[in-house]
Amino acid sequence: MKGRLLFLGGLLLPDLALDPFLGSLAPSLRHPLGTDDLGRDALLRLLVASARSLGFASACALLALMLALLLAWRGRRTASALSALRSLPPLLFLLPLAAVAGGLSLTATGLLLGALAAPHLEPALRARIETFRQSPAWALERTLGAPWPSTLRRWAPWGWQQAAALFPTAWITALWGEATLAALGLGPGPGHDSLGRLLAEELPRLGSDPSPLGWSALAAILLLAWTSAGPARA
Amino acid sequence: MRRGLPGWLVWVLGLALALGLPGATWKGAAPPAFPWQSLLPAAGAVAALAAAAPLLAWLGGPDLARRRPLALLEAPPDLLWAALILALWPAAWGPPGFQGWLLAFLAAALPGEVRWLAQALPPERPFPEAWGKAAVRRARRLVLFRLWRRWLAARLPVWLTATLVLERVLGLPGLGTDWLTRVAVRDRLGLAGWVLVLAGLWALSHARTEDAA
Repeated sequence: MKGRLLFLGGLLLPDLALDPFLGSLAPSLRHPLGTDDLGRDALLRLLVASARSLGFASACALLALMLALLLAWRGRRTASALSALRSLPPLLFLLPLAAVAGGLSLTATGLLLGALAAPHLEPALRARIETFRQSPAWALERTLGAPWPSTLRRWAPWGWQQAAALFPTAWITALWGEATLAALGLGPGPGHDSLGRLLAEELPRLGSDPSPLGWSALAAILLLAWTSAGPARA
Repeated sequence: MRRGLPGWLVWVLGLALALGLPGATWKGAAPPAFPWQSLLPAAGAVAALAAAAPLLAWLGGPDLARRRPLALLEAPPDLLWAALILALWPAAWGPPGFQGWLLAFLAAALPGEVRWLAQALPPERPFPEAWGKAAVRRARRLVLFRLWRRWLAARLPVWLTATLVLERVLGLPGLGTDWLTRVAVRDRLGLAGWVLVLAGLWALSHARTEDAA
């Protein structure tokens, strides 16, 4: 989890300079993957876009886990509402919102993705928390009548540890969510370069004339998927 | 029923949002006709998935859920499969069309569904494995038969979303695109119809959950 949180720094990376006179250059020693239509080095752009996507996914995953922890702890009565929210496809839910708002900003996309991922993470977290709730440690805590700030100080690290175990799942959900939204033209605007945005630009030419940048974006997505894949995914 | 009330409130809220979707098109656009022609291919794809996934789970058993190759196939997003089909489809064959869409749909959905079903199968050691292969096969068949309807109802909305992404990438109009068009032209009644269908599917899967409980 700590390694993935380092990617948060990717959100602070500056934009690459544009130089349309150097646009669409073929791969060379100076530009190993060539340049894009606006003259940015394709390899550098791929790296920056990937770092930003990963940073965005880390931020979303943190938000989703905090919400899921809250829901798992307090949301016993809302189990049915959460089940309904889980069966509402997030993309179908985001489309009307994006249409009404005239597109979604980076912050709005992050908040919505985090909020939509939380109900999906909640069942796994609830299972861990319910075991704890039935343990002698919790019974003792209740019997002694400890004030809630002290309970929180003692048990919050444990709760966060449980949530952190689900971080890879939340992270990959946010990563693909943003990539899909951006590729459909519904993500943050051109100001936020990401893997999804790269794909959205490259998709129209994939069928006829795939560029090295398009292939590299696909390879980056496949690599990310495979390095984060595990049979234990929730 | 009382336990399911907050869930129904979510759907009522969804219905209200669909009916009260703000905004209007610049030029009054007529709501699109429902793509009936896409219904049969979509039903065919769902039928292929609904038959193939339980069959593979039946053959592989609960151990399949822990197989690394399956996890690797499941990991990439739907978007990647559609983009790969688009990039690798031979130009001489013409646009990918329905065949390409079906291929991308099965590649995107099948590994995840097989794992979903394999995870739901009960452990087989020491029993029914000790009773022989016939008992193992029978136990798997019984569990999958019981699970099948609920699984279908729970996963249909997810497949619908996958369909939308694949349709957009492959440029093929279908059920997912229908939702997108209705949002664009602010067809509130059409969207409300979609929300009711999704609510019905949720009710179907939810009712089975309560039966099981």
